[in-house]
Amino acid sequence: MRRVAISSWATSKFAKDSGMSLLELACEPCAEILKNGVSGKEIDAVLFSSCATDQYSSTIISEMLGMRPKVSHRIDNLCNSGTNAVTSAFAMIASGLCDSALIIGAEKADSPGNKLLWDITRGSFMFPVHWAAIFAKAHMRKHGTTEEQMARVSVKNHKNAARNPQALFKKEVTLNEVMNSKKIADPIKLLDCSAPCDGASAVLLVSEGKAKKLDNPVWIKGIGQQTNSASFANATGDLTTIEAAKRAARYAFEMSRTNPSHIDVAELHDAFTILEILAYEDLGFSKKGEGGRFVDQHEIAINPRGGIIGCGHPIGTTGVAQVAEVASQLAGKAGRRQVNGCKVGLVHNLAAAGSSATVIIMGA
Amino acid sequence: MQEFIEHLKKGEFRMPTCTSCGGKAWPPSHRCPYCLSKTSLKKIGTTGILLEFTSSHIKGKEGIFGLVEMSGIKLVGSFGTGHLKEGMKVRMKECGVGSDGTAFYYFMPTKA
Repeated sequence: MRRVAISSWATSKFAKDSGMSLLELACEPCAEILKNGVSGKEIDAVLFSSCATDQYSSTIISEMLGMRPKVSHRIDNLCNSGTNAVTSAFAMIASGLCDSALIIGAEKADSPGNKLLWDITRGSFMFPVHWAAIFAKAHMRKHGTTEEQMARVSVKNHKNAARNPQALFKKEVTLNEVMNSKKIADPIKLLDCSAPCDGASAVLLVSEGKAKKLDNPVWIKGIGQQTNSASFANATGDLTTIEAAKRAARYAFEMSRTNPSHIDVAELHDAFTILEILAYEDLGFSKKGEGGRFVDQHEIAINPRGGIIGCGHPIGTTGVAQVAEVASQLAGKAGRRQVNGCKVGLVHNLAAAGSSATVIIMGA
Repeated sequence: MQEFIEHLKKGEFRMPTCTSCGGKAWPPSHRCPYCLSKTSLKKIGTTGILLEFTSSHIKGKEGIFGLVEMSGIKLVGSFGTGHLKEGMKVRMKECGVGSDGTAFYYFMPTKA
């Protein structure tokens, strides 16, 4: 199997309304990559991650950007789409099918992916916040996690987002503001939730041969992906764990020959604050049941771009933007939010009630 | 599975059940997820256990809801009372498809 590196990345500014169509939005981060020394002629594959149902979108974007790649298609897997596109691109390059793959994530705020209408097991409480509230209740009851600990996740991620020029939210929030924000689904409040928005991000993956020309390539060391169900009903047995994430993490750590203690920087799926707390435990950063207390640790830089809560959640874009952030951190190019001395990074992403999960481990 | 929805619209909860191994296809499907044989709709017991519950404050979606385990499947039920406790026995009182087109499963404690 050939090694795969991340050679370039770009993320556009996330906004409530960008004033651009989905396809125009998708071109923005690609234009940044292609204008900075990468020729479109060198790109073998274009993978477009989006939950929008626009037909032939990946191929249209390729034409708009003047590219004639071998492979071009769209990947949809709800919030997990972007990280799943990375899995596919990795496999294409590792196998020798392609030498380079441009992964583009783009989504509009009104994406049809924001609700999974198919999942009839959710009854009339079918919004993502409803299953998240059940997870939060269970964790509070079984492990004594508090609303304040969840609120601290929001405070931290908004603080980080304030240093990220691409983030939707620029303002820090106080613990009181989170605690007193509007109740959505008990115990989840408005500031415990991410917001859908317009946003696009792109990363370019290349083969080992092409990476040799780079100064400081960032390598993909391991990928784990697990699909347990599509419905909330069958996603997990224990409501205090995302089982798919635990398994995806195990695969990724095994493949990369690393363990949680090696991780310096991580982008975790925090569409709701409770999910970041579950991730600490599912990834093995903290012991089971101690995720609530792990929020204030300082050993691992978690969600330095502001996570999903701070950046906004254009769902097909999120996984790509997470990978772009960790690559940028490992390359030492994260500007004002640079985590000093980070060598190994991790991306954790989920879809639909944690029914599927992806974990990617990267290293300089 | 359209047939499941048609019954649900009439207020009937009918479980797609495997004609070969008896497995339940939930979410509803025409094939059994265990042995892939065809399913047919069957009446099942509608008494279950309330695993976890909470309340929604979203405009138009206010109410108490909880995850129920019933006859080997899980589903999110609606509740009319706040006097609930995790682990309590609950029974499906009513089900159907609401005016907004979404399914609902209305539960009550077996002992009110």
